[in-house]
Amino acid sequence: MSPASGPRVGLFVTCLVDAMRPQIAFATLHLLEEAGCIVEVPQKQTCCGQPAWNSGDNRDAAALARQVIAAFEPYDYLVAPSGSCAGTIAHYPELLGEDPVWGPRASALAAKTHEVLSFLVDVLGHVPTGQRLEASATYHDSCSGLRELGVHDQPRRLLAAVDGLELRPLEGDNVCCGFGGTFCIKYPAISNAIVGEKAAAIEATGADLLLAGDLGCLMNMAGKLNRNGSKVRCFHTVEILAGGGDGPAIGEPQ
Amino acid sequence: MSARDRILAAVRAGLGSRPQAPSDIEAEAASLLAEPDEIRPRPVDTTLVEAFCTKAGAVGTTIDRVTDLDAVPAAVERYLAAQGLPPSVAVQPDPALTGLGWEGVATHAAIAPDEAAAVGLAGWGIAEGGSIVIHSAPDSPILLAFLPVHHIVVLHTDRILPHLEDYAATLSEGGAVPRNAVLITGPSGTTDIEGSYVRGAHGPGFVHVILVAGEVR
Amino acid sequence: MTVADQPSFKARADAALADRTLKTAIERTTGTAERKRAAALSTFPEFEAARSRGKAIKDHVIANLDHYLETFERNAVASGARVHWAATDEEARDIVVRLCIEAGAKRVTRSKSMLGEEIGLPQALADAGIERVETDLAEHIIQLAGEHPSHIIWPAMHRTREQVAELFKADHVPAPDAEDPASMVQSARRVLREKFLSADVGISGANFLIADTGATCTVTNEGNAELTTTPPRVHIVTAGIEKLVPSTAHAFALLRLLVRSATGGELTQYTTFHCGPKRSGDADGPEEMHIVLVDNGRSTMIADEFREMLRCIRCGACMNHCVVYRQIGGHAYGGTYPGPMGAALTPVLDGLARSRDLAFACTMNGRCAEVCPVKIPLPTLLRAWRVRSWNDGLEKGVASAAVGAWAAVARRPGLYRLVSGAGVGILRLIGTTGWIKSLPFVGGWTKYRDLPAPSGGTFMARYKAERGKEAAK
Repeated sequence: MSPASGPRVGLFVTCLVDAMRPQIAFATLHLLEEAGCIVEVPQKQTCCGQPAWNSGDNRDAAALARQVIAAFEPYDYLVAPSGSCAGTIAHYPELLGEDPVWGPRASALAAKTHEVLSFLVDVLGHVPTGQRLEASATYHDSCSGLRELGVHDQPRRLLAAVDGLELRPLEGDNVCCGFGGTFCIKYPAISNAIVGEKAAAIEATGADLLLAGDLGCLMNMAGKLNRNGSKVRCFHTVEILAGGGDGPAIGEPQ
Repeated sequence: MSARDRILAAVRAGLGSRPQAPSDIEAEAASLLAEPDEIRPRPVDTTLVEAFCTKAGAVGTTIDRVTDLDAVPAAVERYLAAQGLPPSVAVQPDPALTGLGWEGVATHAAIAPDEAAAVGLAGWGIAEGGSIVIHSAPDSPILLAFLPVHHIVVLHTDRILPHLEDYAATLSEGGAVPRNAVLITGPSGTTDIEGSYVRGAHGPGFVHVILVAGEVR
Repeated sequence: MTVADQPSFKARADAALADRTLKTAIERTTGTAERKRAAALSTFPEFEAARSRGKAIKDHVIANLDHYLETFERNAVASGARVHWAATDEEARDIVVRLCIEAGAKRVTRSKSMLGEEIGLPQALADAGIERVETDLAEHIIQLAGEHPSHIIWPAMHRTREQVAELFKADHVPAPDAEDPASMVQSARRVLREKFLSADVGISGANFLIADTGATCTVTNEGNAELTTTPPRVHIVTAGIEKLVPSTAHAFALLRLLVRSATGGELTQYTTFHCGPKRSGDADGPEEMHIVLVDNGRSTMIADEFREMLRCIRCGACMNHCVVYRQIGGHAYGGTYPGPMGAALTPVLDGLARSRDLAFACTMNGRCAEVCPVKIPLPTLLRAWRVRSWNDGLEKGVASAAVGAWAAVARRPGLYRLVSGAGVGILRLIGTTGWIKSLPFVGGWTKYRDLPAPSGGTFMARYKAERGKEAAK
């Protein structure tokens, strides 16, 4: 696939990646371009509206949904380094379904929205090669990607192509880490109890790295691991695939 | 307005208008049972009798096999002896059982609250889960299957059905539905304390099937 | 039981989190249930197809509920049972208590029924001065403890074996021989045996109401349902109107899903169909059988988004697989039904204003829906409660205000760039070591975990700088 003929992809950065860990978006950009995509970053994007959606605030969620739709509908695909945000966009038809104008546009965007790891494997059939990282890693399946978008085998397949990387199974890899967006702020004590068990399971693997596909979950797990004094380093999966595994992990100074 | 009328009115209001005739509803209900093999477990063994024995054994039911009904009293005697029980049982007042030659075992009709062992007849066996089925009747007290510690059940091999649906079909074919129909799948048990399994909660701690080859007399 | 007059949800949850014994008890039961369910499904490859069929059966029944209610009533009456209708929990309680009084009941035995808990039957019987004997082992335990169920399948799962032993030693005469579960089960068997046989009325629930025969169906593993319903002169069934199925075969299709999802077994030890009272010449059985059909909010669910909840067959798999339930247990939920299905149902029963926390105390991870044997989209239903709560103006907390403020900024990309850029700058100043240990407004986060500081300027700013304005369209 030559760059000129590749699909036009609108990169949905996600508000969390934009603010907290830009290298995830750069890694995503790199992987998509390497796979032959023409990637653009629409400047009208901010947030997918998930905090409003999850809070039951449909009015604000719909306003943000319309903003995302307008910014991304010119592209062949919307790709995001987050199953959670891509999952929210997949819900836009529920939010706008009754609107004769926006309903069909919401459905059209939802149909071409993808989480980056599954997009690489399922849509582009592209598995990056040539990366090398001497480390052991364990992988947590973030819930939205796993259950709403079917992201499970793709990241494992992509990580298996990284030379030297040993993947260790995580007990309860399909169990929620306790992040839950506004949940972790509204019910911090319950969230803490859940992430405490997750951190213990991660430690029990003895792996050097924790990888996942959603920055919210990663910040939650990394924050708990660090509070516990753990040595486990946390990265978004795309960072490893794009060769960022020797750079600073989440929470490490630049 | 009676509660009945209020509930039905609320249900109908919630459902809105539907033109469905009862016969259409029944047809749709029947269609939901089509292709039953897609939604039930496959038989575990080649023959029905073997499948029944495998599944019954898996749920803790023990099985003895005899060639005809006349061999039942001796099988009961054997079982009681093996369990270290005195040779005395309550016997279901069904002539097919009471008419047998119980020379080696004392029998009685009344079932005591702490009856050690009782012998009854199963109406059916179901291979799918290793279940036996008893029906209430004048000569079939339900408590016979619940009060004893050891429930000994006589089952004819030709009364073994493959699946639960096959038993359900016997109810609609046979006309009268019994007052009580009990599917018994292994001995009584509970997991109510910490999820750990304990056998023999309120019902029998032991279910022993005497499988009789051939037809019901 | 309702959520009224209880400490707040957060206070209940905090108390549960602080109780390490409770955590041990929860983990023993739900962990075992999770493993056994997984094992049961591994030998039942037809499960997915069976699930779809189970969903279709329940949807069909609800879509024709008036037809099935009338059919069931007609056939139950023909069997000799008497059918009563209760629109509310109060009506249901009154009917059952009146039937007990008419039967001259001094002692009633009860076989576990969550509907009985829902309508407040234990208290109503106590108020009427009728001795109530709970016969399910778990219900016996919580009756001795003076508690409510904390799980719909294992009502006493919040109690460890050591705690059960204390209760039994205080109550059972003679006391149990030992503290292991087997000895305690034997002790309960001894104590309850005489009560089964001397009760005047036996009260059960129903797992299914069979429309074409008029029979009710109970499933138990202990055998207590049959010992509750057979010896007394009167048998009373209380059942929700959503329990209907067209026929016995339809009940079996659902039973396969129910048992595997609940306990990981294939069938319960006892699956019993009760069709009318004792017949002429019958060796045993109740002389009267009464069936109380209870609505209590169910009919209102048909017309709204909670209709899918009427499919629920009460297997408890959603709570066994819920990360929140496994931390706080059932009592913290405050209603009759805990866990995800309880969070969806309690606002119907107790009102949203008193139970609004339940829908929010969920991470929306979707595992409950994944394991639900009748495919109830529980996260979707919980979000529907969040929408109602938001629209009703019940969400007044700081977090909700922050969501509104966030959305207002996020709707203006230019302003958003300024705000996010400034916010990132501030966080980087606070978190020079890479980690922020404490931060106002997100104290809930930093109380328990560190917050990673932003790793650089915002992506949008850096992208613009690195690729030039042309690339940034």
